[in-house]
Amino acid sequence: MATPKSVPKDAQVMIQILKDMGITEYEPRVINQMLEFTYRYVTTIIEDAKLYATHAKKSNVDADDIKLAIQCRMDQSFTSPPPRDFLLEVARQKNQTPLPLIKPYTGPRLPPDRYCLTATNYRLKSIQKKVTPSAGRITVPRLSVGAVASRPTTPTLGTPSVQSVTTKVGAPISLTGQRFTVQIPTPQTTVSKTATSSAPTVQNVLINPSLIGSKNILITTNMVSQNSASESLKRKHEDDDDYDTL
Amino acid sequence: MAAVQGGQADAEEIKIKDIKTESPGDGSGNNNANDGSKLSVSPGITNSGGSNKPSAGATEEQQTLLAVLQFLRKNNLTESVEILRREAGLSEETEERKGLESSGSGSVAGAGNVDAEAGDSNSLLNRVSVSSSAIPASAAPTQSKAVAGEDQPDVNVVLSAYSQQGDPTLYQVYYSSLKRFIESVLDCHRAELSQLFYPLFVHMYLELVYNNHENEAKAFFEKFSGDQECYYEDDLRVLSGMTKKEHMRGNETLLDFRTSKFVLRISRDSYQLLKRHLQERQNNQIWNIIQEHLYIDIFDGMPRSKSQIDAMSGSLAGEAKREANKAKVFYGLLKEPEIEVPLDDEDEEAENEEGKPKKKKPKKDSMGSKSKKQDPNAPIQNRIPLPELKDSDKLDKIMYMKEATKRIRLGSDTLPSICFYSFLNAYQGLTAVDFTDDSSLIAGGFADSTVRVWSVTPKKLRKVKSASELSLIDKESDDVLERIMDEKTASESKILYGHSGPVYGISFSPDRNYLLSSSEDGTVRLWSLQTFTCLVGYKGHNYPVWDTQFSPYGYYFVSGGHDRVARLWATDHYQPLRMFSGHLADITCTRFHPNSNYVATGSSDRTIRLWDVLNGNCVRIFTGHKGPIHALAFSPNGKFLASGATDGRVLLWDIGHGLMIGELKGHTDTIYSLKFSRDGEILASGSMDNTVRLWDAMKAFDDLETDDFTAATGHIHLPENSQELLLGSYMTKSSPVIHLHFTRRNLLLAAGAYNP
Repeated sequence: MATPKSVPKDAQVMIQILKDMGITEYEPRVINQMLEFTYRYVTTIIEDAKLYATHAKKSNVDADDIKLAIQCRMDQSFTSPPPRDFLLEVARQKNQTPLPLIKPYTGPRLPPDRYCLTATNYRLKSIQKKVTPSAGRITVPRLSVGAVASRPTTPTLGTPSVQSVTTKVGAPISLTGQRFTVQIPTPQTTVSKTATSSAPTVQNVLINPSLIGSKNILITTNMVSQNSASESLKRKHEDDDDYDTL
Repeated sequence: MAAVQGGQADAEEIKIKDIKTESPGDGSGNNNANDGSKLSVSPGITNSGGSNKPSAGATEEQQTLLAVLQFLRKNNLTESVEILRREAGLSEETEERKGLESSGSGSVAGAGNVDAEAGDSNSLLNRVSVSSSAIPASAAPTQSKAVAGEDQPDVNVVLSAYSQQGDPTLYQVYYSSLKRFIESVLDCHRAELSQLFYPLFVHMYLELVYNNHENEAKAFFEKFSGDQECYYEDDLRVLSGMTKKEHMRGNETLLDFRTSKFVLRISRDSYQLLKRHLQERQNNQIWNIIQEHLYIDIFDGMPRSKSQIDAMSGSLAGEAKREANKAKVFYGLLKEPEIEVPLDDEDEEAENEEGKPKKKKPKKDSMGSKSKKQDPNAPIQNRIPLPELKDSDKLDKIMYMKEATKRIRLGSDTLPSICFYSFLNAYQGLTAVDFTDDSSLIAGGFADSTVRVWSVTPKKLRKVKSASELSLIDKESDDVLERIMDEKTASESKILYGHSGPVYGISFSPDRNYLLSSSEDGTVRLWSLQTFTCLVGYKGHNYPVWDTQFSPYGYYFVSGGHDRVARLWATDHYQPLRMFSGHLADITCTRFHPNSNYVATGSSDRTIRLWDVLNGNCVRIFTGHKGPIHALAFSPNGKFLASGATDGRVLLWDIGHGLMIGELKGHTDTIYSLKFSRDGEILASGSMDNTVRLWDAMKAFDDLETDDFTAATGHIHLPENSQELLLGSYMTKSSPVIHLHFTRRNLLLAAGAYNP
């Protein structure tokens, strides 16, 4: 197969355009890239114009459709910066406010947290553990309220970040108007290095407020302290103090 | 209705005027009888009323009504058109007559909308064509539908400044006649008047394009573009690609060029000549254009020579007006705080008497002003709020002063050693580099949107341990600051991911805790160098941000980009504190003054502007470069500014007087980096031509004379001493020099990507 020596017509046109605009040095792949862009742009415009023509119930696409298509596309993809008078006006207003004073001794000077990227980008998953009906007839499906002590089969309570429960209720619980008392027994064995091993009775319940309001559930749980890593860190001091053994 | 009409026969005139001033379509139907016969009377009265005293107000309202009419007609709201016309008391004849009056010639088409347009453009045309009454009617129909109908009011306000000023075919004639006149003038005036060619050419060309005279525009361009100065070549090339009105819409720079006035500085004698010549001619279209688009700053004195003019011209906005450079600039340095250097170190060095530290005075910083009095050229300490020094900052300062004592004094006979850091395998992706002030870290911004930080010293980069591990360490120990660092992940370099576009600007904070990077994605990101994670993304520019820099005292930073504004931010505000707007094209380089009170911005419109941080005003405009400016550097004493551009020249500016004081020719390609040595004796410049050149800054600043005349008129006499000032030129193998940095001991570090 003899390789075609001549450059295709489109590419020749593109080379000429580049020359006219004064660009003399460029990598050879620039032509391909420009041609791709041209093809994509033109087909987008023509497709849009076809849409507008059908919308206006015309059988043929005419210049007005093309103009409209170009205009819309310019406003959408190829926006240009705001005009100068607008910028001058905005700048004038902004520059009138005096520079804010700097508070001393504030540590890292960052904007309020919601404007920073310092929040965690993960959310800890709740453990869907069934509560065995040792407490009685109530089967409360998937209660993940506060720091519910799950009954792990494996003694993994020692490690902080594994079992962690959030305050978010996983599924809406369709218990209404009834009053439940759920008592979750303390897990036997297992646990922990810290003094918080002996689980207290009602302890550190983080109850989702929404749950309380509508459902009238009173839950007493026994919390084992190291259920969520963040929590345990936060509450370390309190845990130490608050514990009363059973 | 009829009764009402009859009862107001006398007051009809006034009533009808009132009708005009009411907004159309209101319940003004009381007087506006649906009585056609009455209406036929009213136009006459209207017209005569139009020539009375309150005619100005009446015609304004008339035009508003006509504009609304035209708008309704455009949108095919024919019924509304009828109703409005009836109620407002307008008729076909009215509009036609109005159109006739204004356009002055008889060939106005009978179609209503043409005349309405002519009526709309009344104000514009009347303002402009003072003397000529014979505006050809071709003006009217080609008046664009720029009013009210289209959806971009801002742009159209701008574009409508281009009302047709004359017959398109005559433009060539006007321009040629002006050219002939200027060529016939005395030599001394010719250079000054030749400044007119370029702005006139561009404005006339754009007017032709705007009014859809494509062929005439092309012919005009071909005939006269070759006459322009060579340094306008790039602009002309852009213009040659614009042949239709739609092309103009997307180009913000040219739109700004339209609305801003091109400034020319001409001596009074030359100006008188020009004025006399233009005003005695019939078709002084050129005079109109000059009045509308150019600003002629007249000075008394000798006309300038061609070389003087060439030195200062080249920017997109002409030169700077004299008042633009008259504001007082506090270019002095802020007083350094007095810090006591610990004396035990002193004793080691000095080897003097031992043990009586009380006697020996603690060494003050050598940079502080010797006198207690305030330097009149320095800003007061709290002109802008600056962060106070923390203990770690004080330690840094002490280190700095110790290093300063070991600094080599450079001069024309002691040149610095240059150490070049080549980035290998960057594949032309290296777009920005920065060094910390103590030269211990290098950061590189790349086109693949990553930022990489390297350690220059043998000490590796460590980040702070995670929260869980931090809870385990002993907080009371002395070396807690080392214990919080994680040894396991220590490495020579760290990569920071986060941007979604090439990183064009990088800046370390002076306390080495933060790194800023600005990118094509329009955001500026703040990274922590203790955790090597991104802390904040500052969104404000929605277009590529070409450069960013921290203030020398930290806390503030400035960024400039494609949207033609530079913004001043503080790290703890998510919105900018100041917006510096005024450039006509993108801002390519932003630098803080050493006293942190001023920001210099260099732009693609070939000017450099100096902005006051306190109130956002532009206090200096420096023109003279012939290409976009890519490098700026303030001298350490704050008095001078050096700038480098794509034209390969380094220009030196005196900030206090606002004048150009030196020109350093030698580079053959774009200059991307400029740096003064620590004491300001040497200026180093790095360029795309793979060289680093050293210039004698001390000498360049010594021989300047700024007498009153120079300061007043801005005439400069640049000595041709580039060769004497060049101290050395050093080639790299094939790496363009992107960044330069003098260490605290005056060793020159350079950085660039190896580009085989």
